[in-house]
Amino acid sequence: MQLLYEEELVEGAVFLCANGRRSCIPPLQASRFSRSRERLYDIPDPDARNNAFFALHLKWFREWGLADLLAGVIREYPILDGALKTLSFRRAKARNEEGAELFVHPEEGRNGVVALRIERFERDADLLPFLLHELMHLSDMTDPAFGYSRDVPVRNPSQQQLVLGRYRLLWDITIDARLSSRTPKPTEPASRASSELKNRYETEFNRAYCFWDEARRREVFEALWNDAAPRHERLMSLAVDPRGAAAMNRPEPGGLCPLCGFSTFDWADGAAICSETAEAIRRQFPSWAVTQGACNRCVEVYEASQLEQPATLFL
Amino acid sequence: MSTVYNWQLGREMEYPYDATYPNEQFAFVFNINRCIACQTCTMACKSTWTFSKGQEYMWWNNVETKPYGGYPHHWDVKLLDLLEKANPEGQIWNDQPLEKRAPYGRFGGKTVFDAAQQNLAPEGAQAALGYLPTDEEWSGPNKFEDNPLSEIKGKRGQFFPGGEQLPNHKTWFFYLQRLCNHCTYPACLAACPRKAIYKRREDGIVLIDQERCRGYRKCVEACPYKKPMYRGATRTSEKCIGCYPRIEGREPDTGGVPTQTRCMAGCIGQIRLQGLIELNPDGVWKENRANPLYYLVHVAKVALPLYPQFGTSPNGYYIPPRWVPRPYLRQMFGPGVDAAIERYTVPDRELLAVLQLFGKDERICARYEIQKGPKVFETTVRGKPFELYNDTIIGYSRKGQEIVRVTVEEPVHIRPDQHANSI
Ligand code: SF4
Ligand code: SF4
Ligand code: SF4
Ligand SMILES: [Zn+2]
Repeated sequence: MQLLYEEELVEGAVFLCANGRRSCIPPLQASRFSRSRERLYDIPDPDARNNAFFALHLKWFREWGLADLLAGVIREYPILDGALKTLSFRRAKARNEEGAELFVHPEEGRNGVVALRIERFERDADLLPFLLHELMHLSDMTDPAFGYSRDVPVRNPSQQQLVLGRYRLLWDITIDARLSSRTPKPTEPASRASSELKNRYETEFNRAYCFWDEARRREVFEALWNDAAPRHERLMSLAVDPRGAAAMNRPEPGGLCPLCGFSTFDWADGAAICSETAEAIRRQFPSWAVTQGACNRCVEVYEASQLEQPATLFL
Repeated sequence: MSTVYNWQLGREMEYPYDATYPNEQFAFVFNINRCIACQTCTMACKSTWTFSKGQEYMWWNNVETKPYGGYPHHWDVKLLDLLEKANPEGQIWNDQPLEKRAPYGRFGGKTVFDAAQQNLAPEGAQAALGYLPTDEEWSGPNKFEDNPLSEIKGKRGQFFPGGEQLPNHKTWFFYLQRLCNHCTYPACLAACPRKAIYKRREDGIVLIDQERCRGYRKCVEACPYKKPMYRGATRTSEKCIGCYPRIEGREPDTGGVPTQTRCMAGCIGQIRLQGLIELNPDGVWKENRANPLYYLVHVAKVALPLYPQFGTSPNGYYIPPRWVPRPYLRQMFGPGVDAAIERYTVPDRELLAVLQLFGKDERICARYEIQKGPKVFETTVRGKPFELYNDTIIGYSRKGQEIVRVTVEEPVHIRPDQHANSI
């Protein structure tokens, strides 16, 4: 696996160090760095200048131990080395841009990208737990035992968002549970007390699964927290349809409308669906029957569709 | 360190360099009450100066919604916080105002220069107390647009009964228009380790020499208004250049006279008036009643500097928004706020005429004259008598040519019948 560092990240991190914002950087070295950096401004060719800046920044990125710091975390996940072709670190401009992604190219193989804000380099306590967490995502994704798959077995994009939100929470829970059960290396900063972390996750989990009774929530959460080898399939099955709405084949409050796939409390009155509307629906959903029901929003759409006239009528 | 006189603070203060003043000083007055946040100013600047690679996030001119908005996020809250920490409960004004040399009284607290001396950052003392905003803080320049602050929690579909009652609204926000203040004592300049920042002798515009800058970002850290910005593509810092070619009279359209900047000339709300001010040897404004900026700042005293307590002696002045709770405004514009709002709310004859000069012509108005007209209207405004005279104000350029002639009463134009339906 090849490690790649994006210029902007390296430059930003080294700038922090040179400005005393990361402890243990000797001021003399910082001024040596600044002097060499100043000289590069005189290189007339822009490309040559950029390359020289990158080389200099990378040199000090290594000199000040930042590259080693990242490599140390990567070594915690031996599976990555064989599984990824490249692993790149790039600068995130905001908190919501941070995180790890896996890019799979059919011929060129798998590449991991971790985006992080440069301020994380100020303190190991901000940097290391973040990296451990994000790299575990990558490690899970490349681990056949975890069985990651990109497919989300739902029909529409909004449902997909919901499911992915739940999935992310479940996955994060298992990651931080696994991280807090391992013995930290002596060089690592004390991570957040694991009980505090667990409580926070449990609150979040209870909110996401508020429709379950308390006993069930407890049981599932504990199982997740103690699962040393979680699997994608199990997490996804918990995320996809926790209310079991898909199994309701009758128009039940909260069940899924067979047309749009959204959970609804506003079912249309079957008797009021006229035969033209039913016909219009069946043109798009041939196996649909009135007894399956449909939400009022969908029925409205198909009623309105009959009022559509070809534009040419008005010419 | 040198000792310089800062008339906005009514006292001497410490500054890293000796006092030297330009022949004339770039200055402007914004009438906050009339801004509609259309961002035409913002786009005028962007499309002129910051449309290139590495400048994507830069907005030399920006308009933010107060109290929550800020570009970079919370710049002023953070600075006020740093100052408060440096001088707990000591950031106060005292003494009586004195004409011209101390129009807002005397500031007894610490400026960014004072506070820096006691603030030893890990890399040594700063020249001015400050901080470097993060990438995230520079993003979303108009975050919290139109978000009001309210005394009570809002209810959906309901107005806050009485929330809109003057003298100050109980649900409020306002727009703050910002650009570099081309300060008399620039913190950016004070902090630059390369001496790459200079203040032009001819007009006081503060510039960063792109040849000397080596991207240390000390100016970004030191400017309390956060107006220098770092450009990764060139590895140098950049800032508002006061559209200096226009100030020099090099705008081809206006015939060689000093011309207002792009952001001023483009203002849709006609809230902006920019000009040049002559200074005395101690940096205090030279008396010149016929200069509209002098009149607004020193005679009518309706326009006030933004956060004068920072100590850089900014040259942007604001007519404060009259509906906003006073403690907030006093913190932002100093102790002159109450009197300024009072005068703006019930303007006298001359003030009403001078306010007509805003946004009428892009050439800089060096001098104005008023021709008296008849009284057309009288009433009382919040218990005070108010009379409206239809005076005519005439503005002249540096070269003495007439550039504006406008009456206080807006002229009414009745469209002839045959064109009633056309523009
Ligand atoms: S152009 Fe004028 S009115 Fe519009 S946002 Fe700018 S200052 Fe306000
Ligand atoms: S506003 Fe900031 S950048 Fe502009 S002159 Fe003042 S200190 Fe310098
Ligand atoms: S004065 Fe010119 S450079 Fe400065 S903010 Fe306005 S338009 Fe931009
Ligand atoms: Zn539906």
